[in-house]
Amino acid sequence: MKTKVILSILFFSSTVLSDYKYETILDNLDDAWSIVFLSEDKVLYTEMPGKLKIATLSDKSITNINNVPSVQYGGQGGLSEVVLDPEFKSNNMIYFSYSAKDANGKSTLFLSSAELKENSLINSKIIFEAKAPRRSPVHLAAKIAFLDDGTILLASGDGFDHREQAQTLDNHFGKIIRINKDGSIPLDNPFLDTKNALPEIYSYGHRNMQGLVVTSSGDVYEHEHGPRGGDEMNLVEPALNYGWPAITYGIDYSGAIISPFTEKNGMEQPLLHWTPSIAPSDMIYYEGDIYPELKDTFLVTALVSKDVKKVTFIDKNNIQESLFSELNSRLRNIQSSPSGVIYLLTDGPKGKLIKVLPKE
Amino acid sequence: MNIAKYPFAILSAALFTVMLITPISSISNLIWLASADMPVGFITWIEVILFDFQRLGIALYAVVIIGFGIAFSVAGLISKYSSYSGKYLFAVAGAVAIGMALFLMVELLFQTQLLGGNRSIIGKILHCVAGFLGGYFFYSLVSVQRSYTFIIRFLGILYAYLVLGSALGWIFTPISAAADFGFVLNELSQAAQNALLRDFTSFFVATFLFMVLGVITLNPIWFFSVAIIYIGAAIFNLIAIYVHGTSYNQIFIFEFILGGWPAILGLTIILNNDRTKNKFL
Repeated sequence: MKTKVILSILFFSSTVLSDYKYETILDNLDDAWSIVFLSEDKVLYTEMPGKLKIATLSDKSITNINNVPSVQYGGQGGLSEVVLDPEFKSNNMIYFSYSAKDANGKSTLFLSSAELKENSLINSKIIFEAKAPRRSPVHLAAKIAFLDDGTILLASGDGFDHREQAQTLDNHFGKIIRINKDGSIPLDNPFLDTKNALPEIYSYGHRNMQGLVVTSSGDVYEHEHGPRGGDEMNLVEPALNYGWPAITYGIDYSGAIISPFTEKNGMEQPLLHWTPSIAPSDMIYYEGDIYPELKDTFLVTALVSKDVKKVTFIDKNNIQESLFSELNSRLRNIQSSPSGVIYLLTDGPKGKLIKVLPKE
Repeated sequence: MNIAKYPFAILSAALFTVMLITPISSISNLIWLASADMPVGFITWIEVILFDFQRLGIALYAVVIIGFGIAFSVAGLISKYSSYSGKYLFAVAGAVAIGMALFLMVELLFQTQLLGGNRSIIGKILHCVAGFLGGYFFYSLVSVQRSYTFIIRFLGILYAYLVLGSALGWIFTPISAAADFGFVLNELSQAAQNALLRDFTSFFVATFLFMVLGVITLNPIWFFSVAIIYIGAAIFNLIAIYVHGTSYNQIFIFEFILGGWPAILGLTIILNNDRTKNKFL
């Protein structure tokens, strides 16, 4: 009976949800990775080669932002996430993550803050440099989110070749970092008193996190790329170990087994895992009113499955639904405008910003 | 046969080498898992090593074939036009081929180290040692006269190696193996799960062992046994589709291939045996 009810709900909702219309607002975006709304008509967005731009959606004009730090573009690296300070209206501060070379010439993840003033960044400051040096800019994660207390969470990926280090606390591979806006360390961080642990670490055992969301209730959710299979979505809590690569539902790209284990005491199970992989690339928790059927659900963009997964959790079960697959595009980013309109960013050197509206 | 032995020697040496290479990644991975307090027991070792032996090996096979093809051709030219020759020349060529292949995979293709076992210095050395032994093996294959049984044995080993993947899948990860065949194991009744598990596992393990016995004994009966099983599977698959109305699938094509392959090996042995007998009549 329960199954029938769920199937009926799925059938009904999929019938309703197929009715969307799409409008391409911007095109020819050069590896655009992240967007954030400055107002209903203006977005600030990053392009991986190192460009930060403001687009006015009504007239499609684009303005380059000056004084952006140089980045290491290539592989999966470059200028990645940009977010606004929760107090942006009063302080004009933004935060952005990127890959660049460290003092030893190795690639790593950086987080900077700057004031956005008259199309320029001023008082730019590196507030975090990951102790996660790697030969090439891959598996950086680079997602940013603000907790309710004003501290910043930053996802720092496992660097691919350094996956085992996600299980040790003396580095920033495969960790979620928590710092204050000025780069200092919050006094209630979970590993402050742990010997040999880096004090910025909030949680560990992650792989390549591409979605990081703090809901209005203060819960932190992330999703991360698995290898072949084993993409995960997790509820993140401080000090917890999410298992990579000691436990995983995926296998290596080469076909080799990374770990035959999928669970262990002291390591968290994902809320859900996607096997085979969908390559989740971004996520929002939709709280707008434009699409009532999407309210209070997670919307996860995907590169491989080329759709948006609507994810709802009921108790410990999840219900998933594929949306916007008719776009048939690798989707890189999803954002909701201040009024609740959904915008999608497609992946690649000729990316598009697409506005999604209900047909009715 | 003299001309044919070179490509088959490269294919054989490459297969031999990937079988040496795969445990390097498996063992380095298992050592790390054990160091991370994971419950790595005997069954885990067997599972990981055998799985990697087959899956990782197949993924690497083409890379090693290309590497050996180039390296042994160069070694052949060197031995022809210089005073350097012999087994150690080909062994060094094999080591260089593996070292270069793994280096170029990182530098030109992936920018990351896909082989877990190749991330450490010891791992890199062990990979080159495997290439060295592969080159040595190649020389031992081409340096003496070979009969057709050399090719029969190579094709038999390759076949067994491919079937091993399915056998391991049904032994260790039946849910994934079942998904590859298009059904969800957990949705079946317990009795159905049991029947499928024992029958499928037995099917693939038996055909793997028959093929290994065929390679060892060169008795065509073993090859025909495998052929009967797979051709039978293909015929009954078609009967299931067209007589019993089950859903259409294209697996019967692979079943005919997997049946035809050992049948040809068995027939080749019989024909050559007859020819040899006639020669002395």
